[in-house]
Amino acid sequence: MSDARIDGYARALFEVARAEGTIDEVEDELFRFARSYESSDALRNALTDEMIPAGKRQAIVEDLLGGKATATTTQLVSMVVGSGRGRDLPAIIDKLVERASSSKNLEVAEVRSAVALTDDQQDRLKAALANATGKAVNLKVIVDPSILGGIVATVGDSVIDGSVRTRVDQLKSRL
Amino acid sequence: MSIFASILLAAEEHDPAHSIHWLWPEQAELIYGTISSLLIFGLLWKFAGPAIAAGMAARTERIQGELDASASAKTSAEAEAAGIRQAAGDIDSERQRLFAEADAQAEALLADGRARLEQEVAELNMRAEADIASAGGRVNDEFRAEISRLSNVATERVLAGGLIDASIQQDLIEAFISKVGAS
Repeated sequence: MSDARIDGYARALFEVARAEGTIDEVEDELFRFARSYESSDALRNALTDEMIPAGKRQAIVEDLLGGKATATTTQLVSMVVGSGRGRDLPAIIDKLVERASSSKNLEVAEVRSAVALTDDQQDRLKAALANATGKAVNLKVIVDPSILGGIVATVGDSVIDGSVRTRVDQLKSRL
Repeated sequence: MSIFASILLAAEEHDPAHSIHWLWPEQAELIYGTISSLLIFGLLWKFAGPAIAAGMAARTERIQGELDASASAKTSAEAEAAGIRQAAGDIDSERQRLFAEADAQAEALLADGRARLEQEVAELNMRAEADIASAGGRVNDEFRAEISRLSNVATERVLAGGLIDASIQQDLIEAFISKVGAS
């Protein structure tokens, strides 16, 4: 899909969520859903398979998110999947998150950690990243066991990599 | 004697055709004979003389031509002999030149062969050294790859064995936050 269309969908979703007054919650849920979608081949295949009727794909979304996310999030994802744009869901959601952060003068900081971060750790990390980048950040934490340990933070084009995986890879490379 | 014999005898005694002298003919015959001879010589001089003179001139010319041809043949033979003598001299010098050239070529071939041989030996040496170096490098690479592979396996096994427990995870997170905050 073209960038213009992705922007269009992201703007529409953003406006809907803002109108509902749940933009913070919705963008957070959508962000998590996008990362799950990216990491799960089965989910991605199910939601992008043209042979599966749109209604059935939407039912899968509702089964997955129903009760775990807000109704707005479920409806927005269902709408995108139903319109056959499931393949572009992560890009649309990233744009939405970016737009939501921009509206609050925040920079999106994508943080990958091998284990979940406590609220305190998230607050301190947010402050540390803001201090390091000079920008207020909208922290998005993704639990990613593949990094083995530590944290990888991406703020705009900057990547701060403190993961065990990278150190192990460097060690392997040196060996 | 018969009458007939008497007549013959009388005739012999009075025959005008018989000369008185045994050498000289009769006077008249001498005159007629001389005139006839002069006429014959005159006619011969008149009519046969030019033909005889022409024949003699032609013969002289033919003989002169043969003499000229002989002289020309002699000159030609002498020139040919000189040419042969010169050619013999040329052949000798040509033979010497060819020998010298053959010697020079043999020398050049020998020098070229030696140079080529030396070059081939040098190339073989270089190739052998390169092969040895390559084999050494390959062994080193294989050795490094094997070490790397074993290290990777060891690392993965250590990590899979739960080396990074919850407290280490927390330490890593805290270290990251402190490091980023301090930067």
